[in-house]
Amino acid sequence: MTINHTTDLLTAVLDRALPPVGNLPGAGGMGLSEEVIKRCAADFRFSDALDAVVEALPSPGDFAALDDDGRDEALRAVESSNPDAFGLWLDVVYTVYYMQPDVHKRLNWHGRSPQPDGNTMPPWDESILGVIRQREPFWRKT
Amino acid sequence: MTTTEHNPDRTADVLIVGAGASGAAVAASLSEAGFDVVCIEQGHWQDSFQYPTAKPDWELRSMSSWSINPNKRRLPEDYPVNVEDSAVDPVMFNGVGGSTIMWVAHTPRLHPSDFRVKSQDGVAEDWPISYEDLEPWYDLNDHVMGCAGISGDPANPPRSERPMPPIPIGKDGEMIAGAFDRLGWHWWPSDSYINSTRYGEGRDSCNFCGHNMMGCFQRAKASTDLTYWPRAIDQGAELVTGARVREITTDSSGRATGVNYLDTEGNDIYRSARAVVMAANGVGTPRLMLMSDSDRHPNGLSNSSGMLGKNLMFHMFGGSSGVFPDHEDPWVGPVANILLSQEFYETDPDRGFLRGYTFQMGRGLGPGAIARSVGGHRAPWGKDHHEVLERRFRNTISLGAIGDDLPEEHNTVTLDKSLTDSSGLPAPKISYKVSENSRALLDHAIAQGRTVLEEAGATEILINPQSRETGWHLLGTARMGNDPERSVVDKHGQSHDVDNLFIVDGSVFVTGGGVNPTPTIQAIALRTADYIINERQDLKA
Repeated sequence: MTINHTTDLLTAVLDRALPPVGNLPGAGGMGLSEEVIKRCAADFRFSDALDAVVEALPSPGDFAALDDDGRDEALRAVESSNPDAFGLWLDVVYTVYYMQPDVHKRLNWHGRSPQPDGNTMPPWDESILGVIRQREPFWRKT
Repeated sequence: MTTTEHNPDRTADVLIVGAGASGAAVAASLSEAGFDVVCIEQGHWQDSFQYPTAKPDWELRSMSSWSINPNKRRLPEDYPVNVEDSAVDPVMFNGVGGSTIMWVAHTPRLHPSDFRVKSQDGVAEDWPISYEDLEPWYDLNDHVMGCAGISGDPANPPRSERPMPPIPIGKDGEMIAGAFDRLGWHWWPSDSYINSTRYGEGRDSCNFCGHNMMGCFQRAKASTDLTYWPRAIDQGAELVTGARVREITTDSSGRATGVNYLDTEGNDIYRSARAVVMAANGVGTPRLMLMSDSDRHPNGLSNSSGMLGKNLMFHMFGGSSGVFPDHEDPWVGPVANILLSQEFYETDPDRGFLRGYTFQMGRGLGPGAIARSVGGHRAPWGKDHHEVLERRFRNTISLGAIGDDLPEEHNTVTLDKSLTDSSGLPAPKISYKVSENSRALLDHAIAQGRTVLEEAGATEILINPQSRETGWHLLGTARMGNDPERSVVDKHGQSHDVDNLFIVDGSVFVTGGGVNPTPTIQAIALRTADYIINERQDLKA
């Protein structure tokens, strides 16, 4: 299977999996198909899943000829016939999508990785224990 | 295969297999007492500044090279696990620090009743030790690892002050705590081996980054590469990394003489020792002991009882996740060290199951993880995706239940006949079924969890009947006991069959309890170390 074959097909498929929202194009329109292929190549579980999904889909030309409902039906058929591969492939697609700064902006989220900046630890407030501290010990004696 | 002796002129007093939670504790104790200690670890040291939580693709790495599941991570130092016949996937980390690198560092203790399940509930077995027997070493471990928490929990016996105040539970924690209060149910701030203040050499306080299962960049989360190992090495302990033990060697009398291991170049090396301590977790330890069969030990080392590899316990894990649209405290703070509830920890026959469980509150993760799964539910693809994701991201709180998983002999670790690790050694095979008691327990937990989340204001609740990739707690496969025909080691962790072989990891658990086991594992390890120091001076050169 050629890269172009996969890229073209994925671009159309990603637009159905993660369609346009707000000012954002779909994941295919954002140009994420090559990123998905690259990330899948780094882990053979991912690349096997990608291959299985692409193999099970119609050719790029046939897929392009389908209307939106037909494309969704084709995707659902793969999801139904090979749920494990489809699920893993979809997990990679989702994760790549949510690594994108434009997506973070739309979610109104800073998008930073957890470290090194972190967040601010709030102060410890012991008054929250007011109710539970009134309870008698109830652990089971031996 | 040609085996080379590392240093024919040196026989260590004690050789430890595994540098994780328990192996590190034993290494520090014994080396501080003047024992000549060597530890063999198949993994490597970790550089906390290279942990993936500081990298933009951290969520993707959590699915592959930093997965908690060795079958997905598949680093050279990992070994595959055959899980075809298991309802749960074991998860672990191989390296200096072991699974404390990837744990959440939630550190409750077993209850006194957990040690007396047979006496009190008529099932399983009693432990040969009590909570009170273990308490001094729980306290010691709290100080070495660094426990943040507060005294006064009515669900547990009184205990000594923790060295740090609790990790604040946040607005989301207060929301759930308020629901427990209104229901009249127990809750308490989690005990955590996470710094709420600066504590320990070079270890900062937690910066509430929100995701601590991929190593702690801040060194605020305790892992034994940061706590016990520096002490052990200062006292002269030798830690050999990238070294995979393939056999515990024995002499003609059946006593342990050391180990054979493979280094990263494939060289086969023999290290001699007066005693061997197994600290390779509840899967790795029985695997290696089964691989160490001989004429004197035809069914595997220290397996005259036939109990080696049996009674595997994982802790069943399931629960409920609630969506709180008006929640305004986004994804801040440790992922699971917030609060717990032990309202349903002890047996109540009216509930239809024996023993009980602990609720643990959990926070949401990054958007990628939320899209992949909330309580096992993947966000849909297609036109509904964005609406569902926006609803769940930053607004999801879970109540997971860790259930007491009683021992059953048919739940086993055996050697796979065909699957091997990267050194060609047999992989372990897990056979594990969810018992009727565990199923009933989890169903109860899910129903009660729903009640709490609804009381707290959740508008949508997602149920996770039982998670598969949650075999964090690897327990019971070489249990302790007084009867050599029903157990593998005695109350000190010493093998019934081989008097210079000890086991200190979760394998020795008799029952699992309903809490995270690491403080108990480490307390047992420290207790065994003190036994060796006080009663086995014959092992010292």
